[in-house]
Amino acid sequence: MLFFSFFKTLVNHQVTIELKNDISIRGTLKSVDQYLNIKLDDITVVEEMKYPHLSSVKNVFIRGSVVRYVHLPAAAVDTPLLEDATRREAAQTGAKAKQG
Amino acid sequence: MAFFGLDQPQRGARGMFEQPDAFAGLGSNNQEGDQEAIDFDETYAGYGQNLAETGDDFNDDTFGGPSDVPATRESVGRDFDFAGETARVRGTLLEEQTLHHARMPMQQAAQQARPAAKTGYEAYKQPGYVGRLEADASIWGKPMGKKIPAVEQQQQQQQEAGPTGGMGGGRKMMSLEEVEAMMRAQTQSKPTPPAVSETERQSQGLRDMLGVGSAGPMLPQQQEPSKPMQILQRPQQEAQMQQPTSEYQQPTPDFGLRAPQILQRQHSPQPPPSSQGFPQRPPPGQMKFQQPPQMPMGGAPAVQPPHARMPAAGHARGPSYNGPPITQVQQMMQMAPEAREAYLAEEAKRAKRNHKIHVLSKNNGLMTPQDKNFITRIQLQQLLTATGGVDNELGSEQQLAEDFYYQVYAQIRGGPPRSGPGQPLSSFAQTYLFQMGSRYGYGRSRHHPRGGDNHVQRMEQQVARAVEAAKARPKNRHLVVEGSLGKIAFSTSKTPRPLLNLKRAPDSQQQVLQRSAKAAAFDRKRALRDIEVVYAVLMKVEDHERKLPPPPNEESAPEVIEGHMRWRVEMQRLNQELWEGLKVLEPVEPNPTTPHPFIQILSHSKGKKAIPRVFRHLDDQQRLTMLTLIAIHLDQLDVIRNAYPSPDNTTPLPQAVKDSTNLWIMAVEQPLFSYVNDAPFPIILGLLGLVLDRTHVQSNIRTKAGVSFLTMLLSRAELLKQNLPAPQTSQDLPHFNALYARLFDTLEPVLPYIFPASTAVAAADDVHIWAFLATVGVGASPDQQQRLVVGVKDRVMETVAVSRTLPEEMGERMRGEVNLFLKGIGLDVELLG
Repeated sequence: MLFFSFFKTLVNHQVTIELKNDISIRGTLKSVDQYLNIKLDDITVVEEMKYPHLSSVKNVFIRGSVVRYVHLPAAAVDTPLLEDATRREAAQTGAKAKQG
Repeated sequence: MAFFGLDQPQRGARGMFEQPDAFAGLGSNNQEGDQEAIDFDETYAGYGQNLAETGDDFNDDTFGGPSDVPATRESVGRDFDFAGETARVRGTLLEEQTLHHARMPMQQAAQQARPAAKTGYEAYKQPGYVGRLEADASIWGKPMGKKIPAVEQQQQQQQEAGPTGGMGGGRKMMSLEEVEAMMRAQTQSKPTPPAVSETERQSQGLRDMLGVGSAGPMLPQQQEPSKPMQILQRPQQEAQMQQPTSEYQQPTPDFGLRAPQILQRQHSPQPPPSSQGFPQRPPPGQMKFQQPPQMPMGGAPAVQPPHARMPAAGHARGPSYNGPPITQVQQMMQMAPEAREAYLAEEAKRAKRNHKIHVLSKNNGLMTPQDKNFITRIQLQQLLTATGGVDNELGSEQQLAEDFYYQVYAQIRGGPPRSGPGQPLSSFAQTYLFQMGSRYGYGRSRHHPRGGDNHVQRMEQQVARAVEAAKARPKNRHLVVEGSLGKIAFSTSKTPRPLLNLKRAPDSQQQVLQRSAKAAAFDRKRALRDIEVVYAVLMKVEDHERKLPPPPNEESAPEVIEGHMRWRVEMQRLNQELWEGLKVLEPVEPNPTTPHPFIQILSHSKGKKAIPRVFRHLDDQQRLTMLTLIAIHLDQLDVIRNAYPSPDNTTPLPQAVKDSTNLWIMAVEQPLFSYVNDAPFPIILGLLGLVLDRTHVQSNIRTKAGVSFLTMLLSRAELLKQNLPAPQTSQDLPHFNALYARLFDTLEPVLPYIFPASTAVAAADDVHIWAFLATVGVGASPDQQQRLVVGVKDRVMETVAVSRTLPEEMGERMRGEVNLFLKGIGLDVELLG
């Protein structure tokens, strides 16, 4: 749930999503769900000349499984907090693993 | 016919008329009487000749004049666009429908006055039934309305106050009576099924209207074939070809099998098939567009008064909307002018509102209850996931852990979190469902006043059930099939299916030994592990701090006080755990082979970052202990050890060292500084003494971190010395003076080397050194000041000289830094000029 939790904080920020088919889409993150499916608004394709068929698309829903990278806006990421959240997640997973 | 068929090839979207050719289909029943009429000319010749010349009066209006311009779509106008017309007046229609509800009693009276009030299937046999047909015929809109006799004009004018196209009921009534009489004579013998009779009635109405209405449009074309009407001509011809054809085809039985085909291909001329069969039975496909008029008839019991059917009629799209407007007109005629005006104003308001409602409810009924339930389940699932799941108590530790980043981030950044950490799921879900419920209720309340509430209740129950079910779900995430050797693990989004399911053996003595032996070899790993322990405890402490109960007072209940006590005890325990985690109290070895564990923690950047957070939770004694430990190991700190300049003092420090030095000053020295700023004189003296005794001051002084640490202690000592309450009696002052002398003596030989190598570039980074020199200078005796100036004189002159060559702003800044030191010894940079 860490990533879900994390991406939720990026809602309404500009992100660039790099898909597994090499298309990079920049847009405003509108929502994200537990599968990390992503809804983007006001999108532009980074290499617009290469994918002209996407030039008229204004918003997209991206299935989480086809995302390769999400480029984050650095200003919107609280790194120490994210570190802490990661530690918590790890502690939780560790506790669960011990329970078997 | 061409008149009505004209728009068909041009119009892609048909609006609410699913069957644009409905009229053609109805008109087809023209042929019922004489089944042999196949040829187009035969069909229409008679009508055209019988036409009264006055029937052409409005052709110019309709077709935009006989000769002035070639007919275009614009000039032709859109009088024939029935769907468009109806769509435009749809608001009014809706409003009329609503009005009808409001004025039910009046309408009832009006209806009772007419013989047509009788409804049911038998009604069609009575001439008075025309009332129904009027409603249906209103779809013909303006073209028909223009032909109404003068007697009806008054009625129409009144009606045109509303946007509804006027229509002549009287004219049709007359012809319809005749035709109906004929029809009755024909069909008396056989028992007619309702659908058939409905078709018949429509066909009669249509035949009447088509006979009159279509001749007009046809005339210009036939009489002036040479006119340049290219745009219009083709559609018209097509329509002419097609209309008789389809008229003819549709009633035939063998065509009934091919009904779908017809519906698809209505726009293309088809060769007429044989014309035998039962002309009165409409093919199944045709039934479809007859439904709107049929619905009110067939749906209602025979004896039901007409107004009871109206809601149903309101639901059907298309022609059946027109029932209410007619009755409305008659009603309005009976009204006083003032009342009518008021009524119209009110009506306009209603129209607006009803139009809005209709737009909103355009897609009503698209989903079945099953669909809605399905969607609701998905939404609930999302809801439960989004708020942390049902396994955990809401707002609990677990829930916070699930969504820690988002919750805390939202708190910190003040963003509007969708659901705050404290907001329970139930209330969130209820808010959500209430909105949904009201929406459903709104749509339903028009028909079932209680339907909405009921639905909300159902939804709430569903939520409750879903939550219960999720809670009751077995926590066991493995399924062991009986007789099998393995077990199946389920995966959820929160607990993905473990690929390996290893039981971790309890830590045996042997493992601990092994681990500790290895740990000695891997100091770095051990340090990192220590840091993680610190963080883990730190987070526990911070969580616990968040749960601080309100401070109790004398009136507090015993439980509150007890709770507070428990909280403090727990805090104490966590604090102890944290303190142990920091390893400050590990014994200090005299000749260590490895640095002290705490110093190792400090040598990692994340260890440094932990210090300010840890420092808040330590008490004074612990802080002092930590500060002491740092003072003792000052020259072992990575920021000093690694930052020692190269022998030739030329190569600049690596970026990583600079970064970690900056981090040290930001993260570690800040809290230490805040502590030192409150520390009493003896402690400062003690720390200074330790630094002088235990560390290599000459190497400390050549690094930024070391210099700033010494500056911190010295400046505080100077301040305290100046504000000493009783300088003469204090034991501390001689102690300090002795320490200062020692420091100065140690410092003096390295004074020329404490600056960074290059004057020009690195000069920007020596403000801490000037500050340190100023601090030293302030406390120095005149003799010491002399020695100090001698030691750094070259550098001062050099810097001032360089600053003069630099741009004004930079030079000013450099001179300011030098001046910091010069003022400390009572000089000024201006004196050097």
